[in-house]
Amino acid sequence: MITVNNRDKIEWREGLTVQALLDKMNYDYALITVTVNDELIPEEEYESCVLKDNADVCVFHLAHGG
Amino acid sequence: MAREKINITIDGRKVAVTKDTYLLQILRDHGIPVPTLCHHKDLTPAGSCRFCIVEVEQKGRKKLVTSCNYPVRGEIKVETQSERVRKHRKTLAEMYLARWPKVPVVQQLAALCGATDADKFKSELTDENPQACILCGHCVRACEEFILEKIIDFAGRGIKRHLTMPFGVVDPHCIGCTSCAYVCPTGAIQIIDDMNHPADAKLIRDYGMKINAEMATLDKDQCRMREVGTANIVDVMDAYDLLPVHNYKFGSHPDTPKINSVTLKEKYFTQHMPDGCWKGCSMACAKTIDGFELKTGPYRGQRVMVDGPEYETAAACANMGCFDGDFVAEFNFYCDTYGVDTISVGTCMAFVMECYENGIITQKETGGKELKFGAREEVLQCLHEMAEGKGFGVEVGQGIRRLKEKWIGELGADPDFLQDIGMEAKGLEYSEYMCKESLAQQVGYTMAVKGPQHDEAWLIFMDMVNNQIPSFEDKAEALYYYPLWRTWFGLHGLCKLLWNDVVPLSNKKYKPQEAAKVPEHVEDFFKFHEGMTGIPLDEESMLKQSARVHNLQRVMCRMLGFGTRKDDLPPYRAVGPVTKEEYESRAEKYYDKQLKEIMGVDPEGKSTEEKMEITRKYRMDQYIKAMNAAYKRRGWNENGIPTIARLKELGIDLPELVEIIQGDQ
Repeated sequence: MITVNNRDKIEWREGLTVQALLDKMNYDYALITVTVNDELIPEEEYESCVLKDNADVCVFHLAHGG
Repeated sequence: MAREKINITIDGRKVAVTKDTYLLQILRDHGIPVPTLCHHKDLTPAGSCRFCIVEVEQKGRKKLVTSCNYPVRGEIKVETQSERVRKHRKTLAEMYLARWPKVPVVQQLAALCGATDADKFKSELTDENPQACILCGHCVRACEEFILEKIIDFAGRGIKRHLTMPFGVVDPHCIGCTSCAYVCPTGAIQIIDDMNHPADAKLIRDYGMKINAEMATLDKDQCRMREVGTANIVDVMDAYDLLPVHNYKFGSHPDTPKINSVTLKEKYFTQHMPDGCWKGCSMACAKTIDGFELKTGPYRGQRVMVDGPEYETAAACANMGCFDGDFVAEFNFYCDTYGVDTISVGTCMAFVMECYENGIITQKETGGKELKFGAREEVLQCLHEMAEGKGFGVEVGQGIRRLKEKWIGELGADPDFLQDIGMEAKGLEYSEYMCKESLAQQVGYTMAVKGPQHDEAWLIFMDMVNNQIPSFEDKAEALYYYPLWRTWFGLHGLCKLLWNDVVPLSNKKYKPQEAAKVPEHVEDFFKFHEGMTGIPLDEESMLKQSARVHNLQRVMCRMLGFGTRKDDLPPYRAVGPVTKEEYESRAEKYYDKQLKEIMGVDPEGKSTEEKMEITRKYRMDQYIKAMNAAYKRRGWNENGIPTIARLKELGIDLPELVEIIQGDQ
């Protein structure tokens, strides 16, 4: 099980990448920062970064607008 | 979205690169020196000086290409120092050196390329001025790409090519932004005057140009402010269930695409023109619709310019259920023309519509108008009546607070229901964010000194989406910092949008809590302050400057009869589901889930009414706790009044202010 933003629980599967997780969450916002187990993941690695089970993912949406 | 990788060979070394990256960028990323003259990191590559040429082999064919504007799209072999490359660069350098022998950047480049003979191509064109224009075009591109103007450009061809303004005279459209001088590598363009006498003009310019460069290079992949302005937020809010629909009942709607930024750009907004609040703004987000033909009102049939729509206006239309681009434009135009606020009118009309649909008012009150959600013609009729000072429109123009009082008094309407659905606090209508699922946003909105507008605290993403401020203390800290920060830059006339509607790439190096502040842009704003006044600033001194004003505003709010605890209480619609329809339509995603996971209540077997009651009690209790925590952090007492000790601490314990709040201590 993957935890997203200390709240949402997402079923883990073999080969799940950061990008696939973002797609699943419908997180297509332009200003996103991702950490996995507190480590920052560069955007160009979203498709190659494979998540391990029980990963703690933080998807931070920078607040524009408002 | 991560892009495709391609394997290429550079000087015999294999490297994997991202498709479509310019070759010069790749070479520099790999530490390979390439001479350039017309290239500038923040400007579109021009390929005009040709110093960056390299030899590229693809499918057995070799050719020289300018690496700065060569996007890598296939497997290639690159030679950066072949004999052919070196020979071409040397010849070029000799030609430049012969024409501009005293210009330092030319001399340095010549040395790099092994060119020493300044006389080889000497001619009548030779210019001995060490600050001569070398036709690199940096200034031309900076004018167009930073400021979206075309004040300066090349004229003439071949040896007659030169830099000029239109018709060879000083263009009155030039506002003296100094971008051209800033990027000029030779000093051919000089700044000879600094208006307003700032303490340190260079400091302001250094940091201002950084923002210009970010706008020119990053905006197209971030918020697209230059293309569609704040209308881009319509798409985002709908996708994240935050767009107010039908008087804030819901957070998205299938018809949103009819008024989102894609539609507005395709069918309405004029493009490819500088479009800022003032000339010279590099963000230029103030979008405009030109030649819009009005269908109603005193200007019916005329083609007009519409200044907008911005996010709030389009979202106000969603709130009224009017998903129609033509309506949005017409509503925007007439609100502007009549001098009324699109937010207040939109939110008030949404309230009226819900009252109409619930039978609280009928066509008897509305003057025969069937004011259901989506009633576009009727909304415009009300707007015209409001301006003409007749009919039902006049009543709508009084705002939600007066309408509630009137309908409770005259029609016997249920005061509790009207209080629940009337989205106003302190007499001001809420702006256009659906905040039910974000406690920090509810408090930020409702505690805002001038009423529930969002420029004091906009925490909806931090709280609801990111879950970044989970505890009451976290929320209170955010409700302390952000209103003060936003108040601070507002006081200094600095635009909010440059703070976090374009974000430096390096912002990703910060962990979320820090990243939310966009530290490098906070620094930019501090440097603008220092450059203008000569006074350096840090976070602590900024917060103190702002807190003095913010607390003064709160005392004045008290003086005007608002600014106590009761004024900071929201209508329940801002906090949770008022109606069964609202609860049931979002039960699975939010309410039943929260009962079970957060409140520890099993929703099974309970009626919607029972679940709504438990939810309401819990949510209002949470609201009160968060509000109390925010009061404490701000140095206000339990009634929401700044303490005299806090005024003393800020150095604003003036007798006339103390007198106002003395009785509330």
